[in-house]
Amino acid sequence: MLWLGWYFPWLPLECFGAAEAGVPLAVSRREQGREWIDRCNPAALELGVRSRMALPAALALAPGLRVWPRDSRRERQALEALGSWAWRYSSRIAFDPLLVLLEVGASLRLFGGFHALRKRMETELSKLGYHGQWSAAPTPAAAALLARTAPGSCLEVRSQLKEALAPIPLSHFTRNAGLLELMQDIGLSTIGDCLHLPRPELARRVGSEPARLLDRLLGQAPDPRPLWQPPQRFCQRLQLMAEIEEAGALRFPARRLIESLCAFLRSRDALAQRLEWRFLHRHRPATVFHLGLLKPGRDPLHLLELLQQRLERLELPAPVTDLELRVDRWQPFQEQKGDLFEKRQQGDGLLLERLRARLGETAVQGVRLEADHRPERAWRYCDPVAGPKPGRKASADHGHQPLWLLPQPRRLEERQGQPFHGGPLRLRPFGQRIETGWWDGDEVNRDYYQAVSPAGERLWIYRERKSGRWFLHGVFD
Amino acid sequence: MAAEASLDHLLRRGLLWKGGETPANGSRMLSSGFGELDRITGGGWPAGALVELVSASSLGLSLLAPVLARLSTEPRWLAWVDPPWHPHAPALAARGIEVARLLRVKSRDGKEGLWAAEQLLRSGNCSAVLLWPARIGSARLRRLQLAAGQGDCLGVLFRPLGVERENSMAALRLRLEGDGAGLRVKVLKRRGGWSGGEAVVPCSG
Repeated sequence: MLWLGWYFPWLPLECFGAAEAGVPLAVSRREQGREWIDRCNPAALELGVRSRMALPAALALAPGLRVWPRDSRRERQALEALGSWAWRYSSRIAFDPLLVLLEVGASLRLFGGFHALRKRMETELSKLGYHGQWSAAPTPAAAALLARTAPGSCLEVRSQLKEALAPIPLSHFTRNAGLLELMQDIGLSTIGDCLHLPRPELARRVGSEPARLLDRLLGQAPDPRPLWQPPQRFCQRLQLMAEIEEAGALRFPARRLIESLCAFLRSRDALAQRLEWRFLHRHRPATVFHLGLLKPGRDPLHLLELLQQRLERLELPAPVTDLELRVDRWQPFQEQKGDLFEKRQQGDGLLLERLRARLGETAVQGVRLEADHRPERAWRYCDPVAGPKPGRKASADHGHQPLWLLPQPRRLEERQGQPFHGGPLRLRPFGQRIETGWWDGDEVNRDYYQAVSPAGERLWIYRERKSGRWFLHGVFD
Repeated sequence: MAAEASLDHLLRRGLLWKGGETPANGSRMLSSGFGELDRITGGGWPAGALVELVSASSLGLSLLAPVLARLSTEPRWLAWVDPPWHPHAPALAARGIEVARLLRVKSRDGKEGLWAAEQLLRSGNCSAVLLWPARIGSARLRRLQLAAGQGDCLGVLFRPLGVERENSMAALRLRLEGDGAGLRVKVLKRRGGWSGGEAVVPCSG
């Protein structure tokens, strides 16, 4: 067994979506009735802010410092999201504070060896916006400890453990302050010191707890950890560092959510078809919209481009405070066939999606023939990719009909019983009678004619036989 | 030698042409299906290029019907961007156009329509893109022309009277007028050939 531990020292800060900023940022924690700086970013460090500095002192050094109190719920969610990501590489995932552990021994071959796997994970992490440090060891406890204290260690066999663990100070070994003090009182300061003592002796002096911990570290006692199961739907929220007023500026933070979603999908070998975006505002209901894909996918660049198209024409009712991305359902991944036809189809899908994302879902339509003689019902707009329905063939009488149809028949003025459109209309002799629709309550009883206006336009007009009124219905080219 | 080579170069790119000759510059023409029109345009519609049809009332669809019918046998879209009325599908089908290939795109303003047209032209997934722009500048026309070349797509712009004098990158510009049962066509510009040709084409629809 080989456990890989990823420790995320900056997660309390990064979970605020703050990793990339040039603005000084920090999280604080409360202790002894006062607020202390817990962690800060490089921009804050540059101004002299340090961890464990009192908050007022830090604010005096860096007046522009943005500070959030540490948010354990948010940290847990972020860690869970990282667990979802790691699920792709192993089905055995466990957590420690700020730490994700995964058993990789079984998947090394699949990913081309340990270092190939680790590098791949590293690249993905930076895309997700997290900085992780890693170590690997045969036991989860040792992997966790080494990831915190000696990042970059890779111990593949148990016999290497003692040597690697020996120099680690006991302050990392236990968080139990009383126990730590007790051990330091008897002259122990590193794990190595404890290992030198015979176990019964150690237990007699400081109790059974340290001995049990040591056994787990070295793999001499079982270390059962509950196997974590990833959540079934994706929902992630990102609080923005500063409220964003302009839709285009949401692209960057949104990118992080998209990367995270794609990692989630890959880990499940799944594809998404419908993304729900929520932009939260301070005093208003959220702006919610959906982005649909014609074919399920998980390409972050494509998803980002679709969002971009939408953002370009999105009017924000108010500044945005948080972004949220949800995907409730997904579909199993299917290998794409690489032949030319498929590729063209794929390109086609991307094209239509791009148009839809920018112009709106109903702006791009196909056309289909219907079995009806009423001109306005003999065809209809339809989903362009729904697949062609067995097409009704146009009959010969449509050959006399114009290529253009008005959205609605338009009532024509009449003078002395004759239709009028910018002047009297000259009717051509041959008409076409359309009588149909008596069965569905939308009965049509019309005589159609070609007519020429004084301006020379050729129009398609009809007389309603019951009322005798004239209507303009189409335009000849 | 060098002069000859550059002359050749100009001929090949269609920047220079020999009088009375149909384009020898390798640009492919799609027969319009009307002999008169093919004669005055030097072979019909230029493939992978932009055509402008200038008229008082968006005329010209019937002139395109035969070529659209032929293009609709390809597995690519015939896109209509912001047409003035509904394409009357049964009548189009009666002209042999496969209506399952029609794609209607409706934009909210002219700018979006031009953007969409450019995407469609360039994509390679359309055999023809018809566009009814409210206004279009010469820089945008140029972009559309390039996109049509990239996507090997016939781009057709329907434009109002009054733009004849504007400079245009389009490979072919025609002015259309209703004339009895057909259209009177005048060649305003033609790449690689003389303009000024005129004919009455017996199309209608």
